Amino acid sequence: MNAELFMLLGGTIGFLLTLYWVRCRDLREKYAVGWMLVATILLLCGLFPSVIMRLADASRLSYPAAVLFVALTFIYGYAFSVSVSLTRQHRTSNRLLQQVALLEERLRRLEASDLPVSQPTTSQESQRKLKEECVV
Amino acid sequence: MKNLIVVPAYNEETSLEETVRKLRALPREFDILVVNDGSTDRTGVIADELAHADRQRVYTVHLKHNCGIGVAVQTGYLFASQNGGYKYVIQFDGDGQHDSESIGQLVVACERDELDLCVGSRFMNGAGGGFQSTPLRRVGIRFFGLLLGCLTRVRVSDPTSGFRCAGPRAWRWFAESYPDDYPEPESLFWCLHNSMKVGEVPVEMQARRGGESSIDSLHSVYYMTKVTLAILCAWMRRREPAIE
Repeated sequence: MNAELFMLLGGTIGFLLTLYWVRCRDLREKYAVGWMLVATILLLCGLFPSVIMRLADASRLSYPAAVLFVALTFIYGYAFSVSVSLTRQHRTSNRLLQQVALLEERLRRLEASDLPVSQPTTSQESQRKLKEECVV
Repeated sequence: MKNLIVVPAYNEETSLEETVRKLRALPREFDILVVNDGSTDRTGVIADELAHADRQRVYTVHLKHNCGIGVAVQTGYLFASQNGGYKYVIQFDGDGQHDSESIGQLVVACERDELDLCVGSRFMNGAGGGFQSTPLRRVGIRFFGLLLGCLTRVRVSDPTSGFRCAGPRAWRWFAESYPDDYPEPESLFWCLHNSMKVGEVPVEMQARRGGESSIDSLHSVYYMTKVTLAILCAWMRRREPAIE
């Protein structure tokens, strides 16, 4: 299998997989755009190998290992952004779990007795942070 | 004003009842909050029964899945923050390691010395005998003590102790931001880094009566690396304003 065919095949599979996961709602469109861009570049490189040759000549990265290095850099960057996104999601989901647990406790107390239950006083700072995290 | 004792509990069915029974023997100014951290045994049911038996003082919060000790303890700080009326928040393990009679000493030390955080230390002079952890863990504890000492010039003998009393300035901040896992050394560093007043009181601890430790031998390398990295990153951050 030559490199052009490999890129064509990779690009097509990447495209189809991205569409499939978006269709199943397992991948947000926000991330799908990036992956479809990768698939498109692969497809274009497979269809027009002369472009990549010209780019290689212009950038003096004309040996195969350099292409691998560029690809790995791109994948590293994308994987890193996913880790950052996961960390934010983790923090948000923890905060939501805590709020649900505390609200459940208040509800149980209200339902079970006539004990005075003070108004929830979630601080403005806490609400602001949660809002920020949810937006991200 | 009342004080709140937060008892994080993950699969502590064998020891929780006894722990809460001892805490209920404390004066009525101490409320008790059991945070069931997604236990898979009967911990949640036992906690509900205990809360039902003393609805004026014992509360239970159930996290839907196991989030880790840091999230469980922070839920306690959030409870104090949202319900109001609490001065000190005390972290007290549900596994029977801590001595409920020492809680008074921690609170007295906070009031007497106007501390923002008072840690119950196993290694101070006067701490007596009791369980002082395994030799390997003692190496880790000493390492974190040295690290904190180098970065803050404050000597702390037991930086990993989970028996601590937080004053309003500290726990209001902890309610907003607290480490997820292995939180004790990092949160202690945060207090020192932000010029809060931290003290220690000698306490005696027992071997755990039930449940499982969150740090086994396989996780200790990760634990040491993660906490060291977290402390060094916190050291590089700017000082943060207190939440009043």
